[in-house]
Amino acid sequence: MKKFDYHIPKSLEEALSLFKSLENAKYIAGGTDVLVNIKRKKESPSHLISLRNIDSLKVVEKKDGLKIGSCLIHQELLKIEEIRTYYSALYDALTKLGSKQIRNVATIGGNICNAAPSADTACPLLVLDAQVVIFGEKGTRMVPIDDFFEGPGTVAKEESEIVTSFELPSFPKYTGSAYIKHTRREAMDLAMVSAASRITFAAEDQSLLRDFLSSKGVEELDKELKNYPLFVKEARIALGVVAPRPFRAKKAESCLEGKFLNEETLREACEKAAEEAQPRDTIRGEAWYRREMVKVLTKRTILLSVKRAIEMCS
Amino acid sequence: MTFNAVGQKIPKKDAPLKVTGQALYIDDLELPGMLYGKILFSKYPHARILNIDTSKAERLPGVKAVVTAKDFPPNFRIGFMKDNPPLKGNKVLSTRDEIAAVCAISPEIAEEACELIDVDYEVLPGVFDPITAMREDAPILHEELGSNVLKLPWKLVCGDVEKGKSESKYIVEDTFTTQWVTHCCMATSGCIAHFDINNNLTLYSNTQIPSLAQNDFLEALNALGLKNRRVRIIQVTIGGAFGSKLDTYPYEYIAILLALKTRKPVKIVFSRDEEFFATSPRQCTITKISQGCTKEGKLTFREVEMILDNGAYTSWGATTPSVMMMPISSLYRVPNVKYEAKCVYTNNTYCQAMRGYGNPQATFAIESSLDHLAEVSGIDPYDLRMINANQPGEITPQGFKITTCGLKECLEEVAKRLNWREKRGKGGGKRGVGMASLIHVGGGARVYKSDGCGTIIKMDDFGKVDVFTGATDIGQGADTVIAQIVAEELGIPVEDVNVIHNDTDVCPWDVGVHASRTTFVAGNSALYAARKIKARLTEIVSKILEIPQEDVEIRNGIAFSKSDPQKSIPVARAIRRAHFTTGGSMLMAEHFYDPNNENLGKDFKGNLSTAYTYGTHGVEVEVDTETGKVKILKYVAAHDIGRAINPLLLEGQIEGGALMGIGFALSERLIYQNGYLKNGNFLDYKILTVRDAVPVETVIIETDEKEGPYGAKGIGEPGLVPSAPAIANAIYDAIGVRIKDLPITPEKILKALKEKAGTGNKA
Amino acid sequence: MKKEIKFHLNGEEVVAEVEPHWTLLYFLRNVMKLKGTKEGCGYGECGACTVVVDKRAVNACLYPILEVDGKKVITIEGLSKPDGQLHFIQKSFIEEGAVQCGFCTPGMIMSAYALYEEKENPDEEDIKEAIEGNLCRCTGYIKIVQAIKSAKRRQQ
Repeated sequence: MKKFDYHIPKSLEEALSLFKSLENAKYIAGGTDVLVNIKRKKESPSHLISLRNIDSLKVVEKKDGLKIGSCLIHQELLKIEEIRTYYSALYDALTKLGSKQIRNVATIGGNICNAAPSADTACPLLVLDAQVVIFGEKGTRMVPIDDFFEGPGTVAKEESEIVTSFELPSFPKYTGSAYIKHTRREAMDLAMVSAASRITFAAEDQSLLRDFLSSKGVEELDKELKNYPLFVKEARIALGVVAPRPFRAKKAESCLEGKFLNEETLREACEKAAEEAQPRDTIRGEAWYRREMVKVLTKRTILLSVKRAIEMCS
Repeated sequence: MTFNAVGQKIPKKDAPLKVTGQALYIDDLELPGMLYGKILFSKYPHARILNIDTSKAERLPGVKAVVTAKDFPPNFRIGFMKDNPPLKGNKVLSTRDEIAAVCAISPEIAEEACELIDVDYEVLPGVFDPITAMREDAPILHEELGSNVLKLPWKLVCGDVEKGKSESKYIVEDTFTTQWVTHCCMATSGCIAHFDINNNLTLYSNTQIPSLAQNDFLEALNALGLKNRRVRIIQVTIGGAFGSKLDTYPYEYIAILLALKTRKPVKIVFSRDEEFFATSPRQCTITKISQGCTKEGKLTFREVEMILDNGAYTSWGATTPSVMMMPISSLYRVPNVKYEAKCVYTNNTYCQAMRGYGNPQATFAIESSLDHLAEVSGIDPYDLRMINANQPGEITPQGFKITTCGLKECLEEVAKRLNWREKRGKGGGKRGVGMASLIHVGGGARVYKSDGCGTIIKMDDFGKVDVFTGATDIGQGADTVIAQIVAEELGIPVEDVNVIHNDTDVCPWDVGVHASRTTFVAGNSALYAARKIKARLTEIVSKILEIPQEDVEIRNGIAFSKSDPQKSIPVARAIRRAHFTTGGSMLMAEHFYDPNNENLGKDFKGNLSTAYTYGTHGVEVEVDTETGKVKILKYVAAHDIGRAINPLLLEGQIEGGALMGIGFALSERLIYQNGYLKNGNFLDYKILTVRDAVPVETVIIETDEKEGPYGAKGIGEPGLVPSAPAIANAIYDAIGVRIKDLPITPEKILKALKEKAGTGNKA
Repeated sequence: MKKEIKFHLNGEEVVAEVEPHWTLLYFLRNVMKLKGTKEGCGYGECGACTVVVDKRAVNACLYPILEVDGKKVITIEGLSKPDGQLHFIQKSFIEEGAVQCGFCTPGMIMSAYALYEEKENPDEEDIKEAIEGNLCRCTGYIKIVQAIKSAKRRQQ
């Protein structure tokens, strides 16, 4: 591996000033992307500045939503009960990323800042309306995650800036979200296509949701949609690997948002999502297949979101 | 017959070393003064080399030697057809071609030096598939040969195929294709070469063929002007082989050359990237097959034409058609058989042996086609197989003398455990069951002038035994199985048997660990050597106890009189008595066992193996018809293995083989585009993980092979042979589409489903 | 440009001068000469180099050496007792036939060890989660899962 110096600052300020003073420096968190890139000679920084030992990057705050520090590792995030309960899409992604060994060092900040189109936590954060909190010379600023991804490997922050945390709003209880990663094998894999969705129903439908559950159970969901006029107050759909960046399929969202969820609106949303996708042929998957999978995964994540919303109300 | 050591689930002898991290693999070994070698590979799949400038590399501090083709004798070639110069000086024919190599005091410096070597190329048009390579206007790789088709005319004709066709009520014809798959040994390839002061070579190696490698390297030393030298191969712990180390490779000759230049030990160990692109995968095949049967389902003929992508050079792998003939002629009873195969040079990676040695590709075609024939004839696929199943005592059209054969039992067990009659055709468009069988050599395979293995045994004053065997342990457990056989014969505990199997200076000759032959051949060799010791031992005991020799029995290290068990003596004491006396003696014996099998004749007929092994795999799958993903719900693997010497290790071979077979069927493929490997890493080359693992239900059928050690036949390879067709057949049962091209990816399934829905036709 | 680190390796304190670009794997194999931890790929894709750092299984090939400063590292060499007594997971791997070529074995065992540090009675799902990043080409994983599952009863 090419030589580099390695620095371990204890505070954000120290990290920033190191970055400013060093030539050809780069931040490193868990290192599972950065070190692989260096080994594969895709990049060759002279200095790595570790963010692993900065305590303020490991905060968890649980009021008015959830704030999670960027340098929390995936395995720690999995232990946060609120993520499992209220932000299921993120939980799904955390379980699916890499392997246990990777999840034991890889951080959510690293996953987001690496900005691979297949980044597992990206789609969940998109549908969960996350805000990215960024620290830099001019202080701290917030960027909606949707504006944060710019292209493969590029994000809306200065190189010297540090993502410190992600803020997730709190959602009404009648909300469900889900993430599905489509892979060729069941572990240690990158997504061929990935999709996340969030559905928030209207408050007045709560009793209907309960009825739904008591009458039929969630397994019969797709067939029963027509009997239960569920009004979608807010819909989010995000897709991975089928564009230069993880993105929200907003036309698909608008097929559902402010509408009743039924077979037809669901199908429209899936068709629209497939239209919005711009998949490519790569060795990891063929474009036509990826587009097909966008439809399937969109449907499945929405149904899973609905199921979870219903279960939340039970 | 009751056994003490045989048939026991005895843990592998070297497992304690391996679980504590003490087993030394090639990368773990360091010798004093050792240097690190690194190879510069070609940038292009086909190009003329105009100039190689190594001057910058030579000037780099820490570099001890730089070598190019000039450093080998001009006509020195390696490989089965002697078409492969270890370093290429004129032309490169693939992206894994070796152009230069360096050795330095550290791997980092060696790598840096490689990057400093400048090569001028004149890029030539390449040819990347065998069909194009056979065209008149295709670029010729080996110009001196005048053609890209190898001069290895594989042709087998048994009976009269035309007559068979005329007797057929039903005939099917299909074309099947298989992909490149690679061994993915968890430890990468490597060696350390070292010359002593007398120019004798020691090579630390993970080869599967120590004796043949010794021969190859002696030839190399001769070519390098070192006449009449010695070559010693010391095998380190081998981190997976699966056929990959069944030949000698350029990197080994390069290490030898660098060691000779520097007079220092030189280590070359591949990085994982190199392991993927610079080792030899299983050959991809295009197979046209047709088979027919009578109204009653009796097979009438089988006709197969095959084209193999050989890659740029020729390894032993080019002889895989000789093994493909085996299932083509002899899996099920088929009277008329015709098989022709061509191996074709391309600018792709050159192929080699991999577990099954051609059998998986051939069996995929045969068993998929057989299900097609079942459908056309309206006979249940299980019934069709039972009607045509091989039987003990038959001689197959290719001349194989079938001794033991448990194929029917395997088929029955699979059908029973899969609940075949209830499930076949009743999966509701999502679930399905399928099966496929195999035949493989189980009693050695005479692919070389000798199929033998030598054993030397000595017994010490304490009753402990050292067994020096030619066999190689590649993780499968040869060490343990041999110890069990010797312990059984001598009536001593298994732990008293020490097996030495890693040094050509002390171990006798063996043709190599291949063809699932080690338990049978090395096992017999050890058995007969032990028998000789036992004869001496019982003679000693009979004299001491003053009883007839026939009356002596040994159990658990104690020798006693069968008729009067009160008369007894510990074996160790008897040995000491014989040793420490005037004119004393000690117990030593040797045996070279060469099975009574035959080399195939010019017509490719003959009894290739002393015994044949059979098996059937049955699978239940569920297909996600929206995504095309296949889930395996149940997997039964029934194998006729003669006798299970060690059921624990046996299950390990079958379970591991099956998952490798499932990978071959569903997920694994090397993606080459215009001669460049595109997925040479563990993220993109999908060997299966524990999440994909299938609870393989192993069924052991014991047929007690008369020629085998305690009745055993081989099992190293069969575990993966029928996986792909069994899965393909189950998928067809589930969703009515037949995928004829491996691997069966979700894309292929979804596409086939769409085509089926669009046209309303069956596949 | 060497820097000093101090950490616990298999229960003993280690003070060492290291190059900042070294990985933990490089340090273990080339400086400490602990060859039990294997390099299978170098990219965190096979798990052969798994060691336990502060009770967590990690890929040593992607672990910057300076990050181990002040931490506790356990490798396969640290599992058995000095008198040669094996850890119950090691015993179980031997007895259940979970070892073939053995190259993945140290990493596999370290993943299992970290799992037992975390959970007293892991179920099959926990086991699969723990070793999903450890590739094995020989066994089909069946006996490995079985070995980890039944390891507990070999604990004295």
